[in-house]
This record gives sequence, C-alpha cells and structure tokens, in this order.
Amino acid sequence: MTDMTILLVDDSRVARMMTGAAIMRLRPNWRIVEAASGEEALAAAAAAAPDFVLMDVNMPGIGGMAAATYLRRDYPQAAISLLTANIQDPIREQADRIGVGFLIKPLREDALAHFLDSREDPS
Amino acid sequence: MTSIIGEIEHDAVTEILNIAVGQAAASLSRLVEDEVTLSVPFVEFLSPDQSAIRLDEATGGGLSVAVRQEFHSSFSGDILLIFPERKSLDLVRSMLADTVPLDQLTELEQEALIEVGNIILNACLGSLANQLGLTIESSLPTYVCGRGASILDSKNVESELVMFLQVDFSVAAKGVRGYLAFVMDIVSAHSFAATVSAYVARVMAG
Repeated sequence: MTDMTILLVDDSRVARMMTGAAIMRLRPNWRIVEAASGEEALAAAAAAAPDFVLMDVNMPGIGGMAAATYLRRDYPQAAISLLTANIQDPIREQADRIGVGFLIKPLREDALAHFLDSREDPS
Repeated sequence: MTSIIGEIEHDAVTEILNIAVGQAAASLSRLVEDEVTLSVPFVEFLSPDQSAIRLDEATGGGLSVAVRQEFHSSFSGDILLIFPERKSLDLVRSMLADTVPLDQLTELEQEALIEVGNIILNACLGSLANQLGLTIESSLPTYVCGRGASILDSKNVESELVMFLQVDFSVAAKGVRGYLAFVMDIVSAHSFAATVSAYVARVMAG
C-alpha cells in the first residue's frame, strides 16, 4: 500500500490530537500534516499536495466550508471530507454540493477507516 | 415564566429537547467510550437569578466550568454545557486517556473541555435545527469558569430568561454529571415558542 499524505485541519489542538491518533492507529506509515485554520490549510496543501483531507467546519477566518471548496477545485484527485460536530442537514447538503464527504464528530474509527479506503491504490 | 408557552408546546419542547439531548449523549458516550445515562430533561423557563441558584444547588455550591456558544436563528441566545469544576478533569481523562500522556492532561484540560462542549452543543443545536426545520448559526465555543451567576452571565436579568434543562449526562463509571442551559431574551423566547407552535401545528396536520 502506497504511503499517503493526509491533511488534518481543525482549530482545536485536542481535536487534531484525537483524530491524528486514530489515523496513526489505522495507517501508521502515513504522513500527517496539520493546519489550524482554513487559510493554513490552503498553504499546507500547496506545500504537501495531500491525498486526503479532513476539514473541520466551524473555524475562525474563512472557515472549513470555503477552504474545502478551494481544495476540491485545486486537488480534484484528493479525497476530502468535512469532519464536524455540526450535524445540521444544510451542512450535509452543502458538503454534497461542493463534492466532499461528511463525517461527524466524535469520529468513529470504522467511519474513518471507510474514508481512508476511499481512494487507495488497489495494488 | 412557564406561561411563555402553552401546555402542548411545553410538551413539544420537552420531546424535541429529549431527542436533541439524546443525540448529544450519544456523542458524549462515543467520546468517553462509556455508557452515558441520560435523565429525562425537565425543561423550565426561569429568570437568570433563579437559574443561577438552581445551578449552584446542582453543583453543591462549588465552581462550575462551562462551554458557551452563541447561537442565531429566528431565535438567538447562548447555549451552555456546564460541569462541576472538580469533575471536569475526570471527564477529560476518560476522553483523552489513550491519546495524550498523563502529564499533559492538565495542560490540555481547557482545550479538551471546549472540544467536548463543541461536539455536545452542536449535536444538541443541530438536532434542534433539523427537527424544527431551521438553520442555526453558532459561534466558536468559549470556556468559562465560576459560580452560577457568572457562568450564566446574563446581560440583562430583567429581560432575559433561561430555558434550563436539568439534563444529567451521567457518565456512569466516572460519576460526572453535566447540565444544559439556553439563555435567551424575552423576544427570542417568544420567537422560539412561536417556532415550536408552528412545529406542533405541522405535526398535527400530518
């Protein structure tokens, strides 16, 4: 399995630690790049060209929805999903419209595993 | 204060909040990997002063910590998730034990509580919004610590009231118990009541 790069975006350090720990359990060899805002995520993506992105929604600055929209446009091959506590239907529908996934906090490991399987090279 | 809504609407609010709080409890249960028992929320509309007294009684007069988020929709206000201060580190421990070395837990306590609050308050607000067919915007969560009155931080005790939910999020094995409070002004409380009335009318009409 090819080792991949995953960009983890959340303004909460604790949330990044929890999600990061779950990723390390499932994919110990993957490279995890962290960003604490939508703006940082765009810069980090430009430097790291991530294969996967997990994006919080409610963050200071441009927020996760706008950042996910830009990343969807600029990295069409990347698997991108929102990871949010905001379970409202309009957020889910907006994720659908911009072509990204929707995962809810707290993140279930089986849901994360399913996301991480979503674009891996079958070889 | 309960006269702000009729009897049927009060029942509807209790039911709607039961479902919303159930969603929040499920989130908490997944976070702490433990069963969260949930008492049926008893919803009261109280003045800020009455609420502060109630909160201090519930926490045995000790300090409380809370995560607060402003929310905006056709009704607006603050929603708070409140825990007794002396128990908050236990909650953080049960949530982060596998992730963070023990010596870093205290340093991360505040941030961890904010994240717990973020998840639980959004689960509650989100369920409320989905049931009532609304979009509810919310601010970033903030951390507060103090006694009842400073936790509730009513801007105007004359014109605000608190929808106080005696919700026990009891994490069985940890003995941690939390409370939820919505602080709204009178205008927002009336808008909330009207929204619930419309919801009841829709449900009755099938």
